[in-house]
Amino acid sequence: MKLILAIIRIAKMNETKQALSDAGLPSFTAMGVMGRGHGRGLGPKYEAIMKDPANAEVLKELPQEPRLKSKRMITLVVTDDKKDLAIQTIIKTNQSGNSGDGKIFVVEAVDSVTVRTGEKGDLTLD
Amino acid sequence: MFLIRAIVRPEKSAIVMKALFEAGFPAVTKMAVYGRGKQRGIKVGNVTYDELPKELLLVVIPDADKDYVINTIMESARSGEKGQMGDGKIFVTQVTESYTISSGTKEV
Repeated sequence: MKLILAIIRIAKMNETKQALSDAGLPSFTAMGVMGRGHGRGLGPKYEAIMKDPANAEVLKELPQEPRLKSKRMITLVVTDDKKDLAIQTIIKTNQSGNSGDGKIFVVEAVDSVTVRTGEKGDLTLD
Repeated sequence: MFLIRAIVRPEKSAIVMKALFEAGFPAVTKMAVYGRGKQRGIKVGNVTYDELPKELLLVVIPDADKDYVINTIMESARSGEKGQMGDGKIFVTQVTESYTISSGTKEV
């Protein structure tokens, strides 16, 4: 059983929801988060300007810490055999090739219980 | 690879984020959470406050940097010299896989 944490763009939320339910994984939890990544989130054009040594003096006056951007984090628990399906679905719907598309992390989940019935393990998952 | 979840005071989160950035870990996700700890909240007279506002920071780091990042968070999130109740907690989980969506690459 795996817990998948995917941090994606807010604008891609509807597409991701649709794609996941089409793939047979309708259940997940979403929450609004703020975050920053390895890039400055300004796109490739600006990154070239940032790297140009001629601009070094001016760039020193900019704030050095990148800003936090609003993202959605979706968390879903899947059985081991559906892990790759879930990851590929999320990557396919969210990939635009630009920085800021997001990250996916996979964590081992130990157990899962349905509150209503008390069922445990893989029975509780999609 | 480890996922570090740090629950810190809201007023300390900017300081922790800055410390992480300067330590070479710019990638952080932050969210507002409410919770109580071992002390069962704060009791003022007859009223107990057990949904205290905190901020949750998520950082995913390579195995080798674990202790360094934990120390960075711990030292920057502590209030005063010795620290106070309510300064927060740090939890560490093993991450088995990680993907960058824009390029589709997998890092283990």
